[in-house]
Amino acid sequence: MPHDPYKALYLHIPFCAARCAYCDFHTKAVKPEARAISVYADWLVSEIRRLSREGELGSIETVYIGGGTPTHLGSKHLSAILYALGVSMHLTPEVECTVEANPESLDERLVQDLWALGANRLSLGVQSFDDELLGRLGRIHTADRAREAIRAAQTRFDNVSIDLMCGLPGQTLGQFEESVRCAIELGVKHVSIYPLTIEPKTKFEKLLRRGKLELPDDDLVADMMELAERCLHEAGMRRYEVASYAYPGYESRHNMSYWTGKPYLGIGDSAVTMTQNAERRMRVQDGCVIDDLAPREMHAEDLMLAMRMTAGIDAARADEFRGRLPGFDDKMSELVSRGMIEPHEGGWRPTHQGWLFGNELFESLLDLSDDE
Amino acid sequence: MQIDQSHIRNFSIIAHIDHGKSTLSDRILESTGTVAERDMTEQLLDTMDIERERGITIKSQAVRVTYTADDGEVYQLNLIDTPGHVDFTYEVSRSLAACDGAVLVVDATQGVEAQTVANAMLAMNSDLEIIPLINKIDLPAAEPERVRAEIEDSLAIPADDAVLASGKTGVGVHDLLEAVVYNIPAPSGDPDSPLRALIFDSYFDAHRGVVALVRIVDGSLRKGQRIRMMATGTETLAGEVGCRTPVETPTPELACGEVGYLVTGLKDVSLVKVGDTVTTAEGAKADPLPGYREAKPMVYTGLYPIDGDQYEPLKEALEKLSLNDPALEWEAETSHALGFGFRVGFLGLLHMEVVKERLEREFGLDLLATAPSVEYHVVLRGGEEISVHSPQEMPEPGTYERIEEPYLKAKILIPPDYVGAVMDLAVAHRGTFVTMNYLSQTTVELLWEIPLSELIMDFFDKLKSNTKGYASLDYEFMGYKRSDLVKLDILLAGKQVDALSFIIHKDKAYDRGNTLAKKLKDIIPRQMFEVPIQAAIGGRVLARQTVKAKRKDVLAKCYGGDITRKRKLLEKQKEGKKRMKALGNVEVPQEAFMAILKVDD
Repeated sequence: MPHDPYKALYLHIPFCAARCAYCDFHTKAVKPEARAISVYADWLVSEIRRLSREGELGSIETVYIGGGTPTHLGSKHLSAILYALGVSMHLTPEVECTVEANPESLDERLVQDLWALGANRLSLGVQSFDDELLGRLGRIHTADRAREAIRAAQTRFDNVSIDLMCGLPGQTLGQFEESVRCAIELGVKHVSIYPLTIEPKTKFEKLLRRGKLELPDDDLVADMMELAERCLHEAGMRRYEVASYAYPGYESRHNMSYWTGKPYLGIGDSAVTMTQNAERRMRVQDGCVIDDLAPREMHAEDLMLAMRMTAGIDAARADEFRGRLPGFDDKMSELVSRGMIEPHEGGWRPTHQGWLFGNELFESLLDLSDDE
Repeated sequence: MQIDQSHIRNFSIIAHIDHGKSTLSDRILESTGTVAERDMTEQLLDTMDIERERGITIKSQAVRVTYTADDGEVYQLNLIDTPGHVDFTYEVSRSLAACDGAVLVVDATQGVEAQTVANAMLAMNSDLEIIPLINKIDLPAAEPERVRAEIEDSLAIPADDAVLASGKTGVGVHDLLEAVVYNIPAPSGDPDSPLRALIFDSYFDAHRGVVALVRIVDGSLRKGQRIRMMATGTETLAGEVGCRTPVETPTPELACGEVGYLVTGLKDVSLVKVGDTVTTAEGAKADPLPGYREAKPMVYTGLYPIDGDQYEPLKEALEKLSLNDPALEWEAETSHALGFGFRVGFLGLLHMEVVKERLEREFGLDLLATAPSVEYHVVLRGGEEISVHSPQEMPEPGTYERIEEPYLKAKILIPPDYVGAVMDLAVAHRGTFVTMNYLSQTTVELLWEIPLSELIMDFFDKLKSNTKGYASLDYEFMGYKRSDLVKLDILLAGKQVDALSFIIHKDKAYDRGNTLAKKLKDIIPRQMFEVPIQAAIGGRVLARQTVKAKRKDVLAKCYGGDITRKRKLLEKQKEGKKRMKALGNVEVPQEAFMAILKVDD
């Protein structure tokens, strides 16, 4: 179908050094010298060239190489991919280009290569600065290694992000606070805070079923989320989405495109592409259509995603939704009365409660996609 | 084909659940050529889905089989399939009254079990000739000799000649048929007396009106004859008579001793009652057959559609079920918490479950049932007496003189080892001990007077679990007795939830209130605000629990590949919430309304 130009590009690298105990992502633990890796990297390069020829990369504003562990590919393959991007699209400094990295496979040499080839943002899967917790998660790096990797990243990159997890088995509030403070001291510009969720078919899920995994209760996890918000806020960062914190100007533009209804192109195994025009939104994964939305459903989804963001929707977007979703204003007043959102600059934004009870908020917004 | 009374055998097959009654019946139909093998479906006689699924029989059935015995004579065998649950004891007793003998099936691997005893007792009380049959002898674990000894010891039924059979392989079916012919007495009614026919089941057929299953005790019943139901006084014409083989086969008449169906053309099943006697309309002076009783609901519950739009469909569904089920009583009821619904009366808990399941399954309704109740008699100040079927109708304390509740005479059969356990259980359920008899070395009979309201709580389940399944229970209505009862209310977030109120003995109110509040605390999911749960009598709070407010509920990761999955997850959750009832702004799962039943003291 004729579609709006893709604005965001995602490349998936389905390889890791080892699978973590909580991970259900599409990835495989393989040795860095494995043939599968070079075959896959070659294929990615040809896909990039093909899509470029077909004109799909002309309007890309952000690139994200994620995984898996992209840095597990090693300098040679990553360089080849970035180089292919450089010649296939306008990889100018204005394009945000993030590479995901794990501490064990990020060194100063690789940092220099990535920088030289046009990457301008690094996102490190640190998860915790506590060795015992890292061990429990099945991470293969230590807290010291994570610090070294961050410092190495900072030799070139100004825009460094890390992921931290809360609600880990045996994790105390004190331990978590320690990790958050560590992130602040290291001067990373962006932090994502993820409460652990137990996904089917993971090692953690098996342990949990056998009663061999003790998880902190939900109240403690809520305490951790609030603590992260408080500490990071005091340091000058702002929470701009459910799980994302950044100093002003360092928000991930790529991730924001997911929450603002911009079409995105995914390349690689399991990567999802969202193709849309004014009449229809489709998502395709591994050649299968996994989503096919009519305009009303599209708009309700956009509103739901917008309310993940602290800023919510401004007056202009509110007007757009008002015109597209019958019952919009009634829904907004209902959510205001339930304390989930509040009026803000002519639009609405989620409250503290709307943040912590996002599922209730999002679920309620999805009502707008129904005919009644 | 006309057949002499001496060549008729009317019998039933009785068994503990899962001992193979239905399979055996199927084999009889097959081996006598009544049903061709290609037409066989499992459990041929159980026609309802629920019957097949649960392996239980709810409606009676009667199938005529023609059998040429080894003596060269042709016999008419009428196999009457009976319901198999204490709720339907009366129906069973009427079905058995239509028989002259019974085949008692005992599993060769399981031996005598509770229902074996109960069913054997029922059959013996009806003066039936009992043929013991040891089934499933093809199984490696079969112990026919041990089971034979058990039948003799615990039931005092001679088992030397017990038939050894396997419903699965068909072994022994021939022996069984021979035993039926030789051991079960032929009917001995008077063909020249005025007609007396026993109705042992009836159902409504949209085309022909009410159809009754009857056993001709005396006289004969011809098509076109003017007939009269003695108890209800209804007169009509016998539109058609015949037998089932198992397809309905009209015959000119049903002769003395025969079993068959009778098309009455009547539009109301309550005019053709189980246990009633059919006679001729023209001045017959026959006495009614003994044992007739009005089927009366014992247990009441509120049935509410989860979706308010299903009120009318629920009403229509109840109307349809009532056509076939005279024991079902219902009237409109309104609950503040649950909206518009019906108070429905049932014979017992199984009857209730079956009806609810049929309503949900056959009529596609989504129902919420409140805790079962019984009919209380309340004597108001001033002497007026009212009947109360639900806690909501109970007058305020201080406005009445006394409350009376229905009592049962309960008969419990158990092996002697469990006497202590059953005594404790019955006392805990406010039972009054009457007497104890040793029926045999292995069977003790305990008689108790016990309030019906205690019995419908969880007595039967507990009796079973406290006796490793050996106990069997039978009961009959005894009368009303004064009791010190109170209405216990449940308040959620300060608001009384009428559908959670129940009536209970004063001495048990505190404990029950306490455990129920705790139970509800576990059942009610944490909400965005704190939900206090209180149990109270007339405003006095007995117990209090709190469902803590949840602190968070949000999926953190939501990037390109996650959006579809997360949105679908939210949609699914939303569906799940529809199964909950919103009371005020508290979301209450359906199980909460049944929790009252399942409180462990």
